[in-house]
Amino acid sequence: MSEAVQRLRRAWRTAVDLPATIGWRDHVIAALIASAYVAWLLSTARSLGFARDEGFYFHAAQTYSRWFEMLMARPHDAIKQSSIDGIWSENHEHPSLMKSLFAFSWMFFYQKHRFFADASTAFRLPGMLMMGLTQWVTYLFGARVYSRRAGVIAAVLLGLMPNVFYNAHLACFDVGIMAMWTWCIYVYWRSQAEGGFLWAIAAGVVFGLTLDTKHNAWILPAVLVPHAFFVHRRAMLGQLRAGRFTVPAALVAMATLGPLIWYTLWPWMWNDTLPRLQEYFAFHMNHVYYNMEFLHETYFEAPSPRGYMPVMILATVPTVTLALFVFGLASRVKLHFARLRAWGLDVMGRAHDRVRSPDRVESDLLFVLAFGAALGPWLLPKTPIFGGTKHWLTAYPFLCLFAGHGFDRIADMATSALRETRGWAERSRNMIAAQAALVVCVLAAPLAETAHSHPFGLSTYVPIIGGTAGGADLGLNRQFWGFTTQSLEPYFEAKAPRGATVYYQDTAGDSWQQMITERRIRPDLRGSGSLDSDIAIVHLERHMLEVEYNEWSVFGTDIPDYVLTHDGVPIIDVFRKKR
Amino acid sequence: MTFSGSWKTYAFAIVPAIGLLELGAHEVQIHSVVSDADWDAAHAAVEAEWKPGDLVVFAPFWADSIGREHFGAKLAGIPDEARPDDTRFPRAFEVSIRGAHDPELADWKKTASRKVGAVTITTLENPSPVHLLDDLLDHANPVGMAVTRVDNGAESDCRWAHGATSAGGLGAGPATPGDRFACGSGGFVGVSIIHDLADRPRRCFFAPTAGGSSVVRVRFGNVAFGGALHGHVGLANFNERDRTGPNVTLTWRANDRVLGKITHVDGDGWKGFELSTSDLAGQHADLIAEIASTGGGRHFCFEADTR
Repeated sequence: MSEAVQRLRRAWRTAVDLPATIGWRDHVIAALIASAYVAWLLSTARSLGFARDEGFYFHAAQTYSRWFEMLMARPHDAIKQSSIDGIWSENHEHPSLMKSLFAFSWMFFYQKHRFFADASTAFRLPGMLMMGLTQWVTYLFGARVYSRRAGVIAAVLLGLMPNVFYNAHLACFDVGIMAMWTWCIYVYWRSQAEGGFLWAIAAGVVFGLTLDTKHNAWILPAVLVPHAFFVHRRAMLGQLRAGRFTVPAALVAMATLGPLIWYTLWPWMWNDTLPRLQEYFAFHMNHVYYNMEFLHETYFEAPSPRGYMPVMILATVPTVTLALFVFGLASRVKLHFARLRAWGLDVMGRAHDRVRSPDRVESDLLFVLAFGAALGPWLLPKTPIFGGTKHWLTAYPFLCLFAGHGFDRIADMATSALRETRGWAERSRNMIAAQAALVVCVLAAPLAETAHSHPFGLSTYVPIIGGTAGGADLGLNRQFWGFTTQSLEPYFEAKAPRGATVYYQDTAGDSWQQMITERRIRPDLRGSGSLDSDIAIVHLERHMLEVEYNEWSVFGTDIPDYVLTHDGVPIIDVFRKKR
Repeated sequence: MTFSGSWKTYAFAIVPAIGLLELGAHEVQIHSVVSDADWDAAHAAVEAEWKPGDLVVFAPFWADSIGREHFGAKLAGIPDEARPDDTRFPRAFEVSIRGAHDPELADWKKTASRKVGAVTITTLENPSPVHLLDDLLDHANPVGMAVTRVDNGAESDCRWAHGATSAGGLGAGPATPGDRFACGSGGFVGVSIIHDLADRPRRCFFAPTAGGSSVVRVRFGNVAFGGALHGHVGLANFNERDRTGPNVTLTWRANDRVLGKITHVDGDGWKGFELSTSDLAGQHADLIAEIASTGGGRHFCFEADTR
């Protein structure tokens, strides 16, 4: 081998050999994962129709953009209550951050620079970037707590869930809050690990942004306060004995800066703050129940079935991901159980081997709290089912972190096993191949399921349930928010008469209009909220069979002109007036 | 290469094995979708044997719209799909995929079964078929029936109207039939399809309740009586599912005597009844149905036949 080649190899090694400490190279790794995923989202955005709420947020973002323009041009006018209320009253049941980002993205990437051909892609971009941020932070978390390998697997597995992939496309808040929830916990964790004023301030700032993303942020104190008290228990007890009570700086910053930032960024709250705050809380504490099918029953009022969340996780998260999660979590529980046992023996004054915590800041406890707090509300009978899996997306980064650790353990076990296999481990190439095969084994199914699910992410169930058809057999919800309408475009193209009126059923009017504007659906078609149309569709959810049967009556037939299916399961029935 | 160590050494392989199994199952599932060709072949096979009066059902229930799309109105039209029950059918073809069965046919006698591609066609015989003498839904015209509304003892005619059927969106209730008896003081009676509490379609006389002490009276003319008056009452799903609405009663009269009174309590769903008419068997007479409820605008629906 020539010296030049050897030099080249050394240079390559220097570049890619990662130091033990997590540093800038890790941000490069995280950025690569996140960028690849966001690119995938962008490349598939055009083929995914608009969910019901997206239409509302497109509209709200455009309305808010008028205020931002006013703020730039006439700031004195913009901050008047009449200006604020006229604009920010729209969709004021949700805070401002995501809708403001949708507005900025639309103003910059569509209105000003036409970076995207579709306005909707500009609206959706912030949500997609939030998904990238979640993967970024998940990688960093995994790399710092377990290993880089665990971080990579966790970040990738997070993206390879059909429900996450679907939601990551949307101009909505659910992936946004997943990102902010994870980032907030990460920054808080860094503040505990690193100490110092700046990390505490950062925790306060990010908590404020999280509060301004979605109301799930209200639950975060249930994660961070017990964790901080547990981590600092000895110091706090010592101080209590001395008659003092101190609170970790990050919590102080979050309690003060957090609400301040939330308030500052949400103009709607600037006037009549108390009643508007009360209204905001009341809206979410008394949220209406939507209709959601679960095990052949439509739930529309309290109590919600306690089995809903666990069954839906089992049915929608790839099974190998759950297996890795169980493996990873079990290995950590085993470790901490040994700690607990040692502590018990210590208390009883009996001899025992010393078992140390794997880290000073009790990261496993933090992950368990973050995972549990994100899921906990869905075990309460009063919590309505109104959005399926999207409401507990915040749990998934932590599920994946344990899954990443599970992969670590399995990879280590595989290495040990292969070392015991004579004739195999002698060549390092074999070991690399074995590790690569392991990666393929755990990622192939989630990748295949996620890619195949598009654009029917919410109709998709994992193979252990029997796939999409298995979900239908079990009586699980097939869709909601009417996002599947765009998938009828080939039918409309072939069968719809010119200028036909289309009853778009559960699709929001704004969403339909956006599909027409972007020519995702034939622009001559006229959307209608009335069944007295040339074409009527029904999104097949169990409770919407009322509409289906009404269409039979109005159209005089029960024979659909077309049935949109995914993996052989009906998604939309279409009825057409015969001319 | 020699393996050594205990099984625990290799236990890790369970997880990658799960991954591979999951991938395999996914591939099998997405490639085992019942094709249009199989559905069409099943249609041809059933149509070759089908005769009027036979019932065609699709299982599982979620596959119903695909079945209707391929089988068409002759074999899977509204009267059969929105049937009150299965008792009137002497024979049924169960067209099923994925090993599903229609639970309503569980007691029927299986006489034949065959596979057409991925579709299974099972022929079943009704163990106790009945012969219908008169189906009241066939009376839905100004010659076959008359409707009045009784308010404070005063009876007023509800006139036959002919128009377009109309319906609202989700939660608006059943379609208002174009052909209906419209009452001057509000309300109507006409054939519609309700979404029942079990999510099934039911074709029946949609007769929103008048409320208070008012009664909607339906007179079916020249009904051929047999030994029994068999029928159902129900409310539209969204109108019943909260289980907070007042009861609705349906009183049947013939020859100046009360045949029976059916009370529908929210939660009853599509509720069957059978009243003895043995004393009227073989006769033709008017049959009167009176609908009453303290609550107005309840989305009440009923149907009946004589047998």
